[in-house]
Order: sequence, then C-alpha cells, then structure tokens
Amino acid sequence: MKRSARWLVAVSAITMSVMGAQAAQAAGTSAGTTITNTVTVDYKVGSIAQTTKTATNSFKVDRKVNVLVETQDSTTVQVTPGQTQVATKFKVSNLSNAALDFALSSAQLTGTTAKHGGTDTFDVTITGIYLDSNGSGVFDSGDQAVTYLDELAADGSKIVFVVANVPLGLGTGDVAGVTLKATGREGGTAGSTGSMGAALSETSSSNPMDVETVFGDSAGAADAARDAAHSDGDDYTVLAAALTVAKTSRVVSDPVNGTSSPKAIPGAVIEYCIAVSNGAGSAAANTVTVNDPVPANMTYDSSFGIKVNGSVDASGVCSVGTAGGTYASNTVSGSLSNLAAGDTKTLYFRAVID
Amino acid sequence: MAIHDAVRAALLFLAASLASTASAEAAQPLELHSDVKVDKIIVAEGQSKHVLSEPDVVVPGDRLVFRTAYSNTGTQEVTDFVVTNPLPAGVALDPSATVPAEVSVDGGQTWGHLAALFVTDAAGAKRPAQASDVTHVRWVLKSVKAGEKGEVTFNAIVR
Repeated sequence: MKRSARWLVAVSAITMSVMGAQAAQAAGTSAGTTITNTVTVDYKVGSIAQTTKTATNSFKVDRKVNVLVETQDSTTVQVTPGQTQVATKFKVSNLSNAALDFALSSAQLTGTTAKHGGTDTFDVTITGIYLDSNGSGVFDSGDQAVTYLDELAADGSKIVFVVANVPLGLGTGDVAGVTLKATGREGGTAGSTGSMGAALSETSSSNPMDVETVFGDSAGAADAARDAAHSDGDDYTVLAAALTVAKTSRVVSDPVNGTSSPKAIPGAVIEYCIAVSNGAGSAAANTVTVNDPVPANMTYDSSFGIKVNGSVDASGVCSVGTAGGTYASNTVSGSLSNLAAGDTKTLYFRAVID
Repeated sequence: MAIHDAVRAALLFLAASLASTASAEAAQPLELHSDVKVDKIIVAEGQSKHVLSEPDVVVPGDRLVFRTAYSNTGTQEVTDFVVTNPLPAGVALDPSATVPAEVSVDGGQTWGHLAALFVTDAAGAKRPAQASDVTHVRWVLKSVKAGEKGEVTFNAIVR
C-alpha cells in the first residue's frame, strides 16, 4: 500500500513538470538564452580510432515582444442609464519570452461597430482601469486602479477591468464601445519593480551574441501589428425602462342618479385611474412613485382612500388595487411595486365635485 | 643501475611512440566547421524562397539550419566517420524539413529512423516518437577519401 501511494505521488509530480514545460513553450525559450551546438566526429584511419574532434557554434535567443489583449465578456455588458462603476473585463497575456511591464490605456469608439456587433452611439465616462488584484474575476472593492502592469512574467496573464459610469437619458439599445490597449515596456531587470519601465524599441545588431528586441505582436482592435502593443474591444448596451402613464377618469355616482348613468354634477364622485406601463423588452423599473394633485374644485374622498398596484381594463377602469399611498397638501402620492418589462400597475383614488 | 637504465629505456620508447602517434595525427588532419543560419521564407512575386542569414536576430519560432562542414585534408582515407550532434537545449527538430536518417530520442543510447522510434511517457504508455522528442542526430559515413569534402545539415525550430 505504502509503495503504490509513493508511486502515485511520483507520477503526479512528473505530470506537473510536464505541464509546466508546455506552459513555458507558449512564449518560448527565454530571451538571452545561449544556444550552443556542439558536434563531435569520431573516425578511423587505417582501422585505428582517432581522437574525437569537436566543433561548436553559439548564438543568443533574442527578445520577442508579443502581447495579447482579449475581452472576457462573451456578450455585451448590459447597463441602465445612470449606472455607475460598471466594468468590462479583459485579459492581458504576455506572450513574450521575457518579463515586461505593460502600459494600459482605454479609449472609446466614435460611431463604429463595437465588439459584440452593435453600433457605437454614445460615450460612457471611463473612471479608471483596475487590476483584479484579489483574483476574484469580478470587479469589486478589493481591486486596485492601475495605469500599467508591473513585471508580468513570460506567459503570465492578468485580468483587467475598464470601469465606467453610464450617463442618464439613454434608450434601450444604445451602445458604447470601449477598447483596452496594453503596450509593452521595459521590465525584468533588477530594480525595475514598482515603476513603469521605459518604452521599447526594436534593435538590430550584427552580433549573434547580442540580445536584440523584436516586435512580434499582431494587430488588435485599436493598434497595428508589430508595435509592441495589442488591444481588444468590449461594449456596454443600455437596457432602459420605457415607462408610459395613462390617466383616465369616470363618474362613479351622483346625488341625483346614484350609480345608474351618473353625471358629473356637483356632489358626484369621480374615480381617477393612473396606469403606469413598462414597455416590452425593457429593464425592470423599481421604486416607481406616482404623484397626482387633486384638481381644483374637487375634494379628495378619504373614505375610499388610495389603491395601489391595481390593474386596468381596456376602457380605463381600475380595479383590484390594495390600500396604500398618502394624501397630503392636496396631492395624492403612492409607490408601485417593481414593474417588469410589459407590466402595467395602477394607482387610483376618488374625489367629489364641490 | 641496471634497473634505472631499463626504466629510462622504457620512458624513451614511450616518448617515441607518443611522438609517432602525434605525427600520424598531423598527417591525417580532418577539418570541421560548424555554423548555424536562420532560415527565413521570403515571399516575393508570389514565389516563396528560403533565405539563410546569420543568427543575429533569433526569436522563439524561428527556423534554423545547423550545418557541419568536414574536409579530409590528409592523404589517407578516413573510415567509420560518425558525426554526432546532440540537439542544444532550446531547439527542436523541424518536422517539416528532412529529418536526418539516424536520430535518437533517448539521449544517444539507441538510434534509428524517427518513424521506428518510440517514447514512453510518464504514465508508462508508449507512443511513436515525434520530431520534438529527438535528443540527438547523427550521420554515419563508411569512408571519407583523402581530399573529400562534405556537409551535413539538420533543420530545427527555436522552442
């Protein structure tokens, strides 16, 4: 038993090391590695083995700068007008064969097609770029505002959020496209931690033992190929509530006819029905408040009170509400429950003609 | 004294035989020169061609050609001429190019055609060897005549 357990540990350790080797292969052999080829020749002269001859040659692997920025949002980020600190999520991967710093910058589209297919129609207010410092994968208070990624190892990657506020007054389907660009900067040297390194440039030398810098990145959403940078886009799409209000009134009774074909004569009771509807495909509307001043020459009917969250029929007659709301300073007020897309809720009350 | 003489004679003989070996080597100089070039494929006017250049700029993924030139500048035929080249760390044999006839995937212990070799993975399973498993390449020539020159090459990719 002991023996088989030990064997299992050994196997898992080997698997780990193999995986590590594969991971290292994405960025490749580290910059500055000397590759020395040694060739040996054995031969005979007159069937007598001679001293082995060797020949060698060496060169150093140069630094290939390659970075990849990818959005991590598979669909657009849905926002409501006025929403603050909404994050779009990106992953920045260092595909270079050396540790580097990466300068981060965000930008907005100007009317072009956004990442997830919509057309950019408005700008958000970008409040910052944040590093997922606590590794939670979601933007939260543990994350730290950054302008660059410090000392990202070869094959290393970080999750970065572009965080923005959404203006008010937008309609459902409005789109704001953003881009995040990461540009390689010097890193990986003693004392380079804690500050952003200098800009990179391609170098050339005719000495195979010099370590040169080569840009090997591809073109991104907002940058060209071989510029030491890469970028990707993401977008916000507005889902607003589309509220409509309809107010109807009916005569409930009058002092002469009672409830049979009542007329709007002094002393008649009038029922006001206020119906609030949220359009189909809209965002849910929360804390909807209705205020309605009672018209002049009318007196609020406190015996009927105020009914909220009722329904309305095709002829504009309200029913099945529950008591609620307040009457103060000649104004009827009431709050309706959350209105989902396509919902209608009503507030209704009665008043008597003076 | 007789013993000393015998020792002296033995030493003289040894020195003479060493000298003769040295002169035999001097009479059979074999010149070797190894180099490495970067193999870039340049597409011009719809035609792609290989261009070899000095390894001034080499980054992971680049194709390399390792070349070993030999020359028998002596007066005698050289036999059982074996060029052994361990693959340097950081490069892998290029599977898209011609693979040398004799390769090893176990550090030079066994040799053969790449297609005939197998490697055993960590779990003990056997699988056919790939170009990236190759640890050594070698070329075996029966003979190199006096004055004969030649070159052996293999293609590799920077890991």
